[in-house]
Amino acid sequence: MKARNLVLLAIAVLMMLVWTFPVLWGLVTSLKTEKDVLAYPPSVIFEPTLRNYADVFRGSQSIVPNLISSVIVSGLTTLLTMILAIPAAYALSRLDLPFRKGAGFYVLATQMLPPVGLVIPYFLILRRIGWTDTYQGLVLVYLTFALPFAIWLLVSYFEEIPREMEEAALLDRAGRWRALWHVILPQAKGGIAVTVIFVFLNSWNEFLFAVVLGGNNVRPVTVAMFNFISLEQTQWARLAAAAMAGMAPVIILGLMAQKHIVKGLTVGAVKGGGRR
Amino acid sequence: MSCAIRGGERRFALALFLPALLLLVITTALPLIYLVWTSFLRIDLSMPWLGGFAGLDNYQKLGNDPRFWNSLGLTLIYTGTTVVLQVVLGLSLALLVMQVKRGQAMLRIAAILPIVLAPVVAGLFWRSLVLAPDFGILDFITRWLGLGSYNWLGEPRLALASVIAIHTWQWTPFAFLVLLASLAALPPDIYEAARLDRANAWQRFWHITLPMLRPAIVIVVILRMVTALSAFAAIFAATGGGPGSATEILNLYAYRLSFTELSVGYGAAVATVLLAVTLAVAFLLFSFRRKK
Amino acid sequence: MTAASVQMSGIVKKHGAVTALAGIDLEVRPGEFFSLLGPSGSGKTTTLRILAGLESVTEGRVLLSGKDVTNAEPGERDVAMVFQSYALYPHMTVSENISFPLRMIHEKKEEIENAVRDAAARVRIGHLLDRKPGQLSGGQQQRVALARAIVRKPALFLLDEPLSNLDAKLRLETRVELKRLQRALNVTAVYVTHDQEEALSLSDRLAVFMDGRIVQVGTPEEVFSKPATVDVAGFLGNPPMNLIPGGTEGFQSLKGPDVILGIRPSAVRIVDEGVHATVTMVEALGEEIYADLMVGELLVRARLREGERPAEKAQVRIHLDPTALHVFDKATGKRL
Repeated sequence: MKARNLVLLAIAVLMMLVWTFPVLWGLVTSLKTEKDVLAYPPSVIFEPTLRNYADVFRGSQSIVPNLISSVIVSGLTTLLTMILAIPAAYALSRLDLPFRKGAGFYVLATQMLPPVGLVIPYFLILRRIGWTDTYQGLVLVYLTFALPFAIWLLVSYFEEIPREMEEAALLDRAGRWRALWHVILPQAKGGIAVTVIFVFLNSWNEFLFAVVLGGNNVRPVTVAMFNFISLEQTQWARLAAAAMAGMAPVIILGLMAQKHIVKGLTVGAVKGGGRR
Repeated sequence: MSCAIRGGERRFALALFLPALLLLVITTALPLIYLVWTSFLRIDLSMPWLGGFAGLDNYQKLGNDPRFWNSLGLTLIYTGTTVVLQVVLGLSLALLVMQVKRGQAMLRIAAILPIVLAPVVAGLFWRSLVLAPDFGILDFITRWLGLGSYNWLGEPRLALASVIAIHTWQWTPFAFLVLLASLAALPPDIYEAARLDRANAWQRFWHITLPMLRPAIVIVVILRMVTALSAFAAIFAATGGGPGSATEILNLYAYRLSFTELSVGYGAAVATVLLAVTLAVAFLLFSFRRKK
Repeated sequence: MTAASVQMSGIVKKHGAVTALAGIDLEVRPGEFFSLLGPSGSGKTTTLRILAGLESVTEGRVLLSGKDVTNAEPGERDVAMVFQSYALYPHMTVSENISFPLRMIHEKKEEIENAVRDAAARVRIGHLLDRKPGQLSGGQQQRVALARAIVRKPALFLLDEPLSNLDAKLRLETRVELKRLQRALNVTAVYVTHDQEEALSLSDRLAVFMDGRIVQVGTPEEVFSKPATVDVAGFLGNPPMNLIPGGTEGFQSLKGPDVILGIRPSAVRIVDEGVHATVTMVEALGEEIYADLMVGELLVRARLREGERPAEKAQVRIHLDPTALHVFDKATGKRL
């Protein structure tokens, strides 16, 4: 029995290593000088430097504008998504919505669309109305995927609230709007928080739309990574630093909210739908 | 029919739902129609004067295009392999972890890291840190084990294996977490009854665990398939679709056609095919799910 | 608030092809404690929800104190309801739960506070006002639900099986309190339950529901002593009434073959001369002892008198008290 437990433990540790390794190694790499990075065999002991972070935050290759870009795009997307998705999800899950099945199906179907299928027409359309490389253009496009996903996730949380809540509130003369505001939404706070996290995360990590529909003004941090890669050479250490800096927000969010993320994944998955 | 009560609720529901629906229709239905329309055109952004209506020419071209068929095949291999791997690995790991009493929390934290990472960064990390020749970790390990050195991203077959590995690495935790939660939710008294009925561990797994996990597994398969079919950023970052066309799944082929080679009409046709494939797969999986 | 009167006429409720209520006519007098009794699925809860305005009607009218409220929203009806699951707002304290209906109509803060304290005192939860529902026991939660319902002094008080989630002892205690409360407030109460003992002990009058129809309305005494149909007869009383088909061996002489005879266990006597029966089981339920007897293929229950204690498998003879006999038509089930 002891041996079995040891084997299990070994496998579990291996799992952890495999999953955390790239990020940890990225962190390590970001603290090396360019020379140390290229050293072979790969050095674990070296003289750490913050030079790369300095280069990545200041100077000509600063990714600070990109971070700001990401914050604006993700923030706006999340805000607009929640404003639209919360009422929609409530109506879909708990009210007598006309064509309810069809509506639910449409929301689900839009999540299945491959992004490349939409990026082509988006590019052509936005180009025509001059909205490429603008925040409004990009956010509008990001909403395409954020919205159905948010609705689907929120529906699963709304469904967990006992049915009688609105009835009790109506009998207490609250009216439908106040029933939603005073009674339902407070009970959905957890689900709303999880949805916000996921929507923000997905927006922050988006790449395809950002690279095709963005430009010099709107250039989220995921695209900025490629600043450090060119035909002649790749600045590995700086790339690692930029990646760590760019991913720091989502990693921190993920760690802070990890219990909720696990619940969000499973709830969303069990009820069907959801991209992440 | 006392319509007043029903009517009030219906109007309220519509008021809440319509804004979102409107936005969705505008941002999905219209562009999709435009996509299909574009696929009937010949658009060359580098030579705009050559444009015009082309009917089904683009689709005919597809039929004779070896690069397209390569792309389609790669897409199926990529999607099938990674989803199977994710489910098998995820389930095995979940079963294992169920028996590890302590440390489950730490494992869950570790599992979250690949999921929250941007796919493009996952691709970059793997490309630079793990798979790069000469200073990548994997190279170091294989040489240390005496297996020699391989060009993980430069050699066609290995490149395909590499991008499948990256995708699997990033998304297995999802399968793992969902299946772990489902396993934890299984009622324990059924197992006690089974043990009293003298079922051994394998029988308990096969006859009780697996059937009861079926709904969760199906959902995981559906979700992971959709993600795999629309995977783009990680491959783009790791190989760009290369070497040559070795990792050029439909997604990337459409992208390259439209934005690198600027042949947008043809790219739209490829994208439409991908769209059709995705919808077909989703439809199949959902009706499979409904049949249960 | 003055107690309301209730009138439901010709209420039909259909869900697509399924008919939940097939024509309900009901009248409740002001200040009455009126029960809707019946097995699950008989339509009693649907009727209650229609009164509350939570369900629409396919046909018919609902009048509260003479006013047609068939199409009125729940909030417009001056009706309070205690749900089976209590439906307490989990994110609010007990005090906030109770005050919610008053806050919704923007009562003055001071008046709200007084009303809450008064309602809480009536159900004796004044010491729990700052807790949240999740921290309370089932019985306490139920009182909060009651307090929330009475705080606005409604004209009509609806209760949907409010005692079903409580354990047996608590159920009996709370039953008494409910009646006391209703009398003290002089409010009209409509009470849904499947427990016939509850209905018989609480109600001024009751209506028995079967398959979406009302089969009998009356006081507990009337319904118990003169059940209108076989179903009602078999439903009321614990242990239930014995139902003997007319042609059964040994009972042919009474009233003929096309009837069903009903007789309560208390009216079945063990005697020296009579119908042949075999004792299969003797149950001692506290103060009363019952014997299960087999008459041929038929099971008959008898209440034993002081000192009677036949052994299992004993052969006895029984006699049915003719004055306590209920006769029902075999085909229609109706009382003859």
